[in-house]
Amino acid sequence: MIGVGRFIEKRQDFEDRIARSYQVEMAARVKVAQGVGGIAARQLVGREARHREELRDQISDDTRDTAILVAAGLIAGLTGALLLFSGLIATLRRPLEDLVDAAGRLAAGDLSTRVEVGGLSETATLGAAFNEMASQLEIEASQRELLDRLKDEFVLTASHELRSPLTSVQGFAELLMLERETLTPKQVETVEIILDNCNHLVRLLNDLLDLARSDAGRLSVRLRPTELPPLIDEVVRTMRAQTEGSHQALIEEIDPQLPTVEAEADRIRQILVNLITNAHEYSPEGANIEVKARVIGDEVEVSVTDDGPGIPETQLEHIFERFVRGDAGLTQRVGGTGLGLAISKSLVELHGGTIEVDSTVGSGSSFRFRLPLDGPALRPEAAA
Amino acid sequence: MKRVLIADDSETILLLMRTRLELAGYTVDTASDGQEVTERVYETAPDLLLLDAMMPRKSGIEALRELRAAGYETPAVIVSAHQNPGDADAPTDLEIDGFITKPIDFDRLLSEIAVLTGAEV
Repeated sequence: MIGVGRFIEKRQDFEDRIARSYQVEMAARVKVAQGVGGIAARQLVGREARHREELRDQISDDTRDTAILVAAGLIAGLTGALLLFSGLIATLRRPLEDLVDAAGRLAAGDLSTRVEVGGLSETATLGAAFNEMASQLEIEASQRELLDRLKDEFVLTASHELRSPLTSVQGFAELLMLERETLTPKQVETVEIILDNCNHLVRLLNDLLDLARSDAGRLSVRLRPTELPPLIDEVVRTMRAQTEGSHQALIEEIDPQLPTVEAEADRIRQILVNLITNAHEYSPEGANIEVKARVIGDEVEVSVTDDGPGIPETQLEHIFERFVRGDAGLTQRVGGTGLGLAISKSLVELHGGTIEVDSTVGSGSSFRFRLPLDGPALRPEAAA
Repeated sequence: MKRVLIADDSETILLLMRTRLELAGYTVDTASDGQEVTERVYETAPDLLLLDAMMPRKSGIEALRELRAAGYETPAVIVSAHQNPGDADAPTDLEIDGFITKPIDFDRLLSEIAVLTGAEV
């Protein structure tokens, strides 16, 4: 085998020799043609032709050898490159794997995750950038926590501070109403408006507070053995003042044998008031509202059913989300905060229960909540 | 006639509560903080205490705690601007006979007071 450089040199040499051989043969052929060279000139022509054949064979052999050499060189080069590359990959792989792991931990919420910065300058830069990002996230998260806590405190304080003046406004308006026989009809109406708005403010404050607590995971219930029939009856009787004003029938159907449930009476009252108020406010004059309580399996089911306009399917799936309210056309006269059902759902769940709704546009809605007969203690998922 | 000692740091609320309770037939004494409560209970000998949970100087809770520790057994109702007993004001280890939130539901408050004082209303 010969080198490529030498091959080129040698090839040049061969071509010179072939060219010279032609010159010799041509000169010999001229002599033959002129008849001056005799036998010697003829022999020379044949010899030069054979000589060139040999030279050409030799060249093709050399060409083949050189081609093999070039191919082998290429293979060797590629192998070397591959080896070099796999070495490079190995040095890249470790830091990249570390980064992938760290990103996983970061995504899982461990914001204190950092990677070791080192190795190739590229991976070191990547690692440093990752650490920078993680630090930034950590700072932002702690700022967000602080903001959340400040927000909770603010809601709590605002709601607390607003209650005192509200107590006075409502209390003195009620005092006036105690002497309503001395008031003119216009004055009575005025005081009623003040009281209505006080009630609305109180509801708003309570709802906001519940929601802030629910967000902070601090909404809780104090469960005690509770007799539901008298509690439901009391709520229904209180609500009748409102439903009768709209000529709506508020019908009660309570199983008197209803067993005691583990519940916080005030919260059950709150849920019921919310459901009945919704039925009342969203239903037209003369509608029927039915409150039922019965045992189903190992649960007590309380339902509030109306034959009002019903809830379109598109709204139904979001009905328990906050600030979701019924049709705008109706909300003109509906006094709710849009928080009632979201809070009711949280409260039912804190009791270890469930709440659901069925509704058909044109024929009415039915909200039902169920509480476990054995209390939430046996249902670990209710511990939240 | 049953006697009630009311404590609140707001003059307006004191006036409101005094008016409502007097209309319902109670004799009312007032205090503007917990310190005054601990001083006035022995002098006025009330049948019931109606204490605001949060007051400057000494809260209704602190005053009641001191009184209970001294063996004072007159029933006490805590009035709180918090929505729930669990919200900050009412410790579970303290003997409280009633818990009322602001804004005050006077129908409920008056019926509780009637029961606790054994008043004929």
